[in-house]
Amino acid sequence: MDRPYEVATIDDLDKVPVLQGALTWRPVRRRFGIEAFGVNVFSAERAGELVIEDHYEREGPEELYVVLRGRAAFTLGDGEEVDAPAGTLVFVRPGTHRVATAREPGTAVLGVGAKPGEPFEPSGWEWGAIAFAHLNRGDEEEGRRVIEDGVARDPDSWAAQYNLACFEARTGHPEEALEALGRAVEGDPESVRRFATGDEDFASIRDDSRFRELIGG
Amino acid sequence: MAERFQTAHVDDLERVPSFQGVTWLPIRRRFGIQAFGANAFAGDAGKLVIEEHDESGTGGSGAQEELYVVVTGRATFTIAGDAIDAPAGTLVFVRDPEAKRKALAAENGTVILALGGTRGEAYEPSAWEWIAPAIERQDAGDYEGAAAVVREGLARLPDHPSLLYNLACFEARSGEGEAAIEHLLRGLEIDPKMRAWAAKDEDFDSLRGDPRFESAVAGEPEPGRTGA
Repeated sequence: MDRPYEVATIDDLDKVPVLQGALTWRPVRRRFGIEAFGVNVFSAERAGELVIEDHYEREGPEELYVVLRGRAAFTLGDGEEVDAPAGTLVFVRPGTHRVATAREPGTAVLGVGAKPGEPFEPSGWEWGAIAFAHLNRGDEEEGRRVIEDGVARDPDSWAAQYNLACFEARTGHPEEALEALGRAVEGDPESVRRFATGDEDFASIRDDSRFRELIGG
Repeated sequence: MAERFQTAHVDDLERVPSFQGVTWLPIRRRFGIQAFGANAFAGDAGKLVIEEHDESGTGGSGAQEELYVVVTGRATFTIAGDAIDAPAGTLVFVRDPEAKRKALAAENGTVILALGGTRGEAYEPSAWEWIAPAIERQDAGDYEGAAAVVREGLARLPDHPSLLYNLACFEARSGEGEAAIEHLLRGLEIDPKMRAWAAKDEDFDSLRGDPRFESAVAGEPEPGRTGA
C-alpha cells in the first residue's frame, strides 16, 4: 500500500531542464503522485533566469504562483511588472499572459493549477518534458518509455500525440512522426499548426510534402 | 468581470481565527479561486498552525489529497503518529485522507501553505471556509452575522449538511425558531448521524419540546406526515 504521506524539500526535488535548458522544472506532482491538482516548482540558480515560462494557459487552468525563495519579476496581462519577493502570491486567470524571471540567485517559485468545474487531469506537457530531458542526455530508450507512457495514459490527447511526433522526428523515424502528427491534427488542428510551424523538433520532416499538408503550410 | 490577475504577500493576507485556535490566512476566498483549495496558516513558536484533523469527515470537503508547503519559519508536523521536522521549503504531501495530521510552529512567524483537492472530482470548496468565520462571529455574540456567513456558504454549496446544521444553530440562538427547525430537519435528513450532535447541542435548547425537533432528533417521521 502507498505510504500515507511523503516529505521532500525543494532541494530534494529533481531538476529537469526544459525549453532547451532555459527553465528548470522541479516536479512535485509526479514525485508525490498527486492526482487532484497540478503542482510544480521552478527554480533558478542565477538572477535573470526564467522561472515561469512565457505562456497564457488558454485551455482553462487557473494558476497560483507562490515565490518560496529569492525574488522574482513577473510580467502579467498587458505588460504589468510585479516585483515578487519570497512570500508573494500571484493568481492568474486562464488566457492571461504571464512570465517571470529570477531577480536573485536561488529563486524558487511554486506553481499550482487546475480547471474550475472539472476533475483534474495532469497535463501531457509533463511527459513530454521528462522524455525530452532523457533524450537530450542521450537516453533515447528511457525517453521513449516516458513518451509512450504519456500516450498510453491519454491516447486521445493531441498534446501527447504531438510530443510523440516530435520524439519520432528527432530520433529518425519520419513515418511514425507523420502518423503521430496526423493524430494530433485530428485532435486540435489549430494548436498543432500554431506550435508545429516553428518547432525545430520537426527539422527532419519539414521538407516532406505530407508535413506541409498536415500543418497547412 | 473578474480581474485577470491578482497579487498579495502572505504578510498582507487577512488573519482569521479558526478551529482549535489556529490562524487562517484565506487565499482561495481572497482571489476567488474555483479550481483547487489554497490557504495559508500562521503561528509563532509553540502554536498550532495546522489543526489536528483528517480529510474523511463531513465537516471538511471529504477525501482530499493535501499538500502543505512551509513558506517561512519551521514547523513540526505529526502525521499518522510520525513527527516530521519541516524547515521553510519543505513540502509535505498527505495522500491518505484518513491520516491524522497537525503541525506546530517551531519558530516565530511560521507560515504554511495548504493546497487541496479530491482526485477524480471537480473541486468544491470546503464548508469550513464559511463555518470558521461564522463561529468567530458567534463567539462575539453576533448570531445574525454568523447566520449570514453560513447562508453565503449555502449559496455556494446548497444542502451541505454541516452548513444547514450550523445555520440552524445560529437561527435557534437568535430567536428564529421556525427557520432553525426547517434547516435542522433538512440537515438531519441528508446526514442522519448529526442527530446525535443535535440531541446534546445547547444551541437547540430553545427548540426542545417542539415535537418536530424531538421527532427529528429521535429519527422518527415528522409529526403530521403519514410517510406514504
